[in-house]
Amino acid sequence: MKRSDLRFVIFLTIPAVIFILAFFAYPVILLVFNSFFDVSLLSLKERTFVGFDNYTSALTNAKTVSVFLQTMQYTFITLLSEFILGFIAALTFHAIGKKSEVLRTIFLFPLMVAPIVAGLLWKFMLLDNFGILNYFLKAIGVLHNPSELAWLSDTKLVMFSVALPDIWLTTCFVTMVIYTGLQNIPVELIEAAKIDGANAIKSFWNITLPLLRPVIAAVIILRGIDAARTFDAIYLMTGGGPMGKSEVLSLRIYLTMIRYGRFGDAAAMATLFLMLLLVLCLMAFYAIWKPGLSKR
Amino acid sequence: MIRKKHFIIGLWVVVAAAILAIYVFPYLYLVLTSFKTPNAVLSTPPTFFPESFTLENYKVIGTYDYLPRTFSNSLIIASISTFFTLLLAIPAAYGITRYNTRYGQVFLITTLIARMVPYISVAVPLFFIMRQFKLIDTYPAVVIGHMTVSLPFAIWLLSSFFEGIPVELEEAARIDGCTRLEALIKVIIPITLGGIGVTAIFSFLASWNDFLFSLMLTSTATKTAPLAIAEFNSQYGTIWGTMTSLATLFSLPVIFISFFLQKKLVAGATMGAVKG
Repeated sequence: MKRSDLRFVIFLTIPAVIFILAFFAYPVILLVFNSFFDVSLLSLKERTFVGFDNYTSALTNAKTVSVFLQTMQYTFITLLSEFILGFIAALTFHAIGKKSEVLRTIFLFPLMVAPIVAGLLWKFMLLDNFGILNYFLKAIGVLHNPSELAWLSDTKLVMFSVALPDIWLTTCFVTMVIYTGLQNIPVELIEAAKIDGANAIKSFWNITLPLLRPVIAAVIILRGIDAARTFDAIYLMTGGGPMGKSEVLSLRIYLTMIRYGRFGDAAAMATLFLMLLLVLCLMAFYAIWKPGLSKR
Repeated sequence: MIRKKHFIIGLWVVVAAAILAIYVFPYLYLVLTSFKTPNAVLSTPPTFFPESFTLENYKVIGTYDYLPRTFSNSLIIASISTFFTLLLAIPAAYGITRYNTRYGQVFLITTLIARMVPYISVAVPLFFIMRQFKLIDTYPAVVIGHMTVSLPFAIWLLSSFFEGIPVELEEAARIDGCTRLEALIKVIIPITLGGIGVTAIFSFLASWNDFLFSLMLTSTATKTAPLAIAEFNSQYGTIWGTMTSLATLFSLPVIFISFFLQKKLVAGATMGAVKG
């Protein structure tokens, strides 16, 4: 490693480093710093040190706890649905083989659609009294009456309803990543297993799944993070209602700050949220990925 | 035996096509609704196809003078943020991958962590910083907000493209008398244009589709299209006709682009995913 090399690397990276320090690291540090103060919304300079008060008020608030649980619920619903649907779709495309290209092309069309648009169109389809989904369910005999399911105003149902746009939007991404993983498994391995007498289920369980491990880990981590920090679609569909039953952490932090003007609380919650996501990521990273283990 | 196999595959295709039809249906419904008359948009029972195709909902858009502005704002903000993202990310990603330094590795891990931070945890303090500098509702504020998302992703994605380039190419250019910087500009960048293009599209769409940063950092002058669409949801009571036509205008170009560039986008998305 020549010294001039290092100088050149620093020269190349310094603009990006400065940007990240100024507009990413500094804001995050400011956030953590402010979470220990009672900050006036009008001016950052008017602040008084309150220690962990913001944290205790945020953590002892029953609302925060329920929003946290709802965020977990949302993440779990979307992740599980996308994973199961995505896996089935990927296996189907894999079974069809080369002929699946047209189908895959159509399947991927929502890949780049904005979450806000997805939220809008699902809200439109789920509208009480006017939504087409309930009329469809009635037509196929699932419902007796189109107003039977109030997707967006039923407190028990709403969390599933607001998860629909994300499932619709990103199952294709999960499918694509798993499909690529499946394509990369050498055919010889599966055939060798067949010769050794393994049936389809056995070879799937013992060969396909272990080989897909890094791909599955990547999907779970990436999609898990995205689901946990969701905002757009829920903001548009319900605004967190009815009675806060569809509020998630990002939305709660936004509302705490903008609507209720409690910046200290918002900062404390945002800091906790940030640490929680990072810890979960690291745990998932080591638990599922097991960097050394995949080389068996 | 072969016949049977063909039959099974044929069956798979039919099942997959049926599932696809259900999958595509919601979006088709949105687009078709935008061509209904404003009164027919909400009908009981709802109809899938419009009884008569009309552009009325699109004409209504013209009556709000601020609406075209929100679309041009989105275009300007996405273009500027893509330009600066590439300007910063290309040299950084190249520097990290070409020279294996500890400093570079630390930097790459930092960008990975940056991708995992909740957007709201950056948007909240950024709002205060921008307000302190009186930059709320200006292009720089939103552009910077969007770049906090696209820059880490771009560095990560570009690194995987640069990794595929043999070091010998740069060394040959050096022997021909190029400086290191010239080698990057004249040799490396031209052969990585495909990857840079993919990165550009991802950066552009990250900004075009963003809602949260625009919501925090803009108000009237630099309001972006997603905000305008969402506003029809609350401010004026929900006007579904206008909303569906705006949403169609906003998302249809994106879908067309992704159809044409699908192979490249898939490569980019999987690379960005599996590497991460």
